[in-house]
Amino acid sequence: MAYHSGYGAHGSKHRTRAAPDPPPLFDDTSGGYPLQPGGYPAPGADVAFNVNHLLGDPVANVAMAYGSSIASHGKDIVHKELHRFVSVNKLKYFFAVDTAYVAKKLGLLVFPYTHQNWEVQYSRDVPLPPRQDLNAPDLYIPTMAFITYVLLAGMALGIQKRFSPEVLGLCASTALVWVVLEVLALLLGVYLATVRSDLSTFHLLAYSGYKYVGMILSVLTGLLFGSDGYYVALAWTSSALMYFIARSLRTAALGPDSMGAPAPRQRLQLYLTLGAAAFQPLIIYWLTFHLVR
Amino acid sequence: MIQPQQPYTGQIFQPTQTFSPTAPQPFYGNSFEDEPPLLEELGINFDHIWQKTLTVLHPLKVADGSIMNETDLAGPMVFCLAFGATLLLAGKIQFGYVYGISAIGCLGMFCLLNLMSMTGVSFGCVASVLGYCLLPMILLSSFAVIFSLQGMIGIILTAGIIGWCSFSASKIFISALAMEGQQLLVAYPCALLYGVFALISVF
Repeated sequence: MAYHSGYGAHGSKHRTRAAPDPPPLFDDTSGGYPLQPGGYPAPGADVAFNVNHLLGDPVANVAMAYGSSIASHGKDIVHKELHRFVSVNKLKYFFAVDTAYVAKKLGLLVFPYTHQNWEVQYSRDVPLPPRQDLNAPDLYIPTMAFITYVLLAGMALGIQKRFSPEVLGLCASTALVWVVLEVLALLLGVYLATVRSDLSTFHLLAYSGYKYVGMILSVLTGLLFGSDGYYVALAWTSSALMYFIARSLRTAALGPDSMGAPAPRQRLQLYLTLGAAAFQPLIIYWLTFHLVR
Repeated sequence: MIQPQQPYTGQIFQPTQTFSPTAPQPFYGNSFEDEPPLLEELGINFDHIWQKTLTVLHPLKVADGSIMNETDLAGPMVFCLAFGATLLLAGKIQFGYVYGISAIGCLGMFCLLNLMSMTGVSFGCVASVLGYCLLPMILLSSFAVIFSLQGMIGIILTAGIIGWCSFSASKIFISALAMEGQQLLVAYPCALLYGVFALISVF
């Protein structure tokens, strides 16, 4: 425990050996030294060679303090650079999920036809986080679904005796490239078609990541029930996903004030939604058919 | 004239309180007795290691949130080495895969937990928890030495052990980071990570 005691004949700062903070670098306390007898500088030279007590060696202490200050400085630099590209607070919004939300959302992705209200709810112009609103997009499900898809692809290839670690990397990077392409296309479409909307890049990433759930279901059914099961599951999940994307993007792209857009813009929005929806089954088929031969 | 005095045990630039230039004490004897014990200096606290191991081994016991306050990587290192050693007994020399997968898995869990929790979490804490919960996986790979896990019993055993590992890990994370309603959500990525370890043990 470090304590600064004012007592002592010369008012110098005293610290005990067990201080948790490293000593401040170059803090000049030389003014506080008590009057020394004439032999003080010479024993200082002996101290450096007291190897019996390594961590008491003041040189090692200084080195440790310097190293820890360098490490925290490096961490600050990393944080600053990261914050320039990715706003962590906005990203945290997409991960504020709980188990009930994830269960209901997965159910919605498989069977969206009975859901009535697709509007994203707002509270004072700020969209509610996914915990409180089923219609809000999240990034937890797409991320987990992507990783599960990559592992499942590895397992499916392993069952077919076609596994090797390079193929796993190939699968992962192919899927990632398709996601990036789709998000870019959607961004272009949203830019051309709307005046103002709340669809940021992360929203579009979330919506295009929901297809991985359908892909996982198709591959699992294909592995368990053969090729016929695969095609049945593909048809079911594709239609469910098309309906889901169409309804979600239509309400999300319009924004909270939906009646203000002129007619050509509304048609563009419709084409955008339909195009995004129609693209899903194609990409699901493309990324999974080679796993279920 | 160099006067004999007790050795300097304080910090540089700060005079210690116990400095007494006139005390004639032997040079080495005092410093040896003043040293803290070696284990305490290295930060290895066997009692805490044992407590954390017990928390992992009893999946139904409620975890105490404060046990993860000091991040301790000695236990997880031992468990990783033991896992690699049991794999070696089964004829698979795959230390590199074990370390690589644990590094990537820890990094992924670190990012995910920082995004999902209100308070942040340090990388050492994540690595420590994931390393401790690797203990049941060592049981699995030692079974793999004796009989092959590729039958139905092996699949059930593997699934059970993956569930055990990820359940303990998520329980410790939930209690240490005070996240409610998210235990299954934290358990799923842990299950993916331990599933990859199980893949190495089984195949």
